[in-house]
Amino acid sequence: MKTIKLKKESVQLVKDVLKDIKASSDLGIYKCVQCGMCTSVCPGARETDYDPRDMIRRVLEDDETVIDDDNIWNCFSCYTCNSVCPCGNNASEINQILRQMSIDKGEGMKKIVGFAAYGDSFIELGVGSIPSNFFDVMVKDIGLGYMDLKINIEDIRADLGLGSYILPKKAINEVESILDNSGFKVRLEKIKRCK
Amino acid sequence: MKFIPDKDILLFKSCLVNVEYPGVESSTRYIFDRINVDYYVDERQSCCTGLGYYYDIFDQISTTALAARNFNIAQETGHKNIAVMCATCYTILKKSANILNQNEEAKNRVNEILYDSHLEKREYTQGDMDPILNIFHVAEIFFNKREEISSLVKVDLTGLRVATHHACHYCKVHYNDTIEGVRDPNLIDKLAEAVGVETIGWYDHKRVTCGAGFRQRFTNKEASLAVTAEKLQALKENKVDLLLHMCPNCQMQFDRYQPYIEEKLDTEFNIFHLNISQFIALAIGADPYKILGIQTHTVPIEPLLKRLNFSLKSNKKVDVEAKKSLN
Repeated sequence: MKTIKLKKESVQLVKDVLKDIKASSDLGIYKCVQCGMCTSVCPGARETDYDPRDMIRRVLEDDETVIDDDNIWNCFSCYTCNSVCPCGNNASEINQILRQMSIDKGEGMKKIVGFAAYGDSFIELGVGSIPSNFFDVMVKDIGLGYMDLKINIEDIRADLGLGSYILPKKAINEVESILDNSGFKVRLEKIKRCK
Repeated sequence: MKFIPDKDILLFKSCLVNVEYPGVESSTRYIFDRINVDYYVDERQSCCTGLGYYYDIFDQISTTALAARNFNIAQETGHKNIAVMCATCYTILKKSANILNQNEEAKNRVNEILYDSHLEKREYTQGDMDPILNIFHVAEIFFNKREEISSLVKVDLTGLRVATHHACHYCKVHYNDTIEGVRDPNLIDKLAEAVGVETIGWYDHKRVTCGAGFRQRFTNKEASLAVTAEKLQALKENKVDLLLHMCPNCQMQFDRYQPYIEEKLDTEFNIFHLNISQFIALAIGADPYKILGIQTHTVPIEPLLKRLNFSLKSNKKVDVEAKKSLN
């Protein structure tokens, strides 16, 4: 049987993954037995060449090229892998950490620049939304009724007895200040520049 | 089973409920008002960042700092329990609470960000928010009060073939906290049962994702919709009339894209989509337009209501528009 032999000097990547802020305190990557349950239930693996089992093997073998592998961008973040793992590993979480490593290196920014409008509207309004640049394609796919919904949303909300969903100015200022001091604004500008 | 509260609740606003299916919020409030749940909505609460987090635009520390602010708002108003209508809010808030409680370095960094933002009053102290005891999905609150819900049922919804879609971010992330099944999820099935409807229970693909996959819907559309189509096909094979949801993003994927997939595959699914809050509200007498907000749906709900012999005269203005969209 093929086993993964961890060399003492070559576990930098797995160490970096485990010390990432996203890594859960009980993340069981060292317990992975390469059973493949994760890949067998993965919608990304079913539809694309993404293979969470192989991604975990490469992390354990300190293969840093996994960070640059386009396939890590095919994870659906559905965590089905996490829910069936017999070892307490969480391939979905590790995928998110690898993507952030790719973003930090610069390459990954190209993958997410198309979603930058989410950050802009969050800073402006304190609420999330589907990035505005996808609106046209959604209207094309869904129909003109979708545009009517967007135009009339405040009236519809009023009919339902709901107030405005946009935060009061003082609250937006608090959110903006937090996103300034957390480094998010600088991060977003960097992402946008990668166009 | 874990303790589920019915008071001191902050009903946490969701971005996709806000602008896609606001009727989920009005339905939730309608039910809460009738089963004596003490809740509050705070206009200062920011979004959880969930979509941006899974688009990989948001970094963990920014998401966690905003969560700390929202946790503080919940606490300062005496509503330490948070109830969410979106499964991604559920997982994001639990993740952030875990980080704040378990990772001292991250907690200190968040507090530093709050100080620098002149928000010292919102400082997070370890244990302020317990992810197990204080963060819930509204479906869990309904489940805890299901006997009261049963006693309020006014509308007979039997005769429909109903299936459920349990959101991944409720079932599969913090799965030790999930109630009524992870591998065979039944939380929404039991809520349907509480209003007198027996669902089809297990079906092939029951626990499969909706397919939205955050970025996948936009950057990998074919793969995303293939996953959705397979689930719709499994539901069609089971002759399902209505699929019940617990997450607005899943609901979007199915309701907004079902007609598109039908056209691409040259097939008809004819499946209606309602959130569990909308379904319970309907069963206990809520108006389809003024409370359920069915006017924001892409797959029209009117044919379903006609099958149930509903009178659709409650909102003439919207009713005319709805009829137009049916033609």
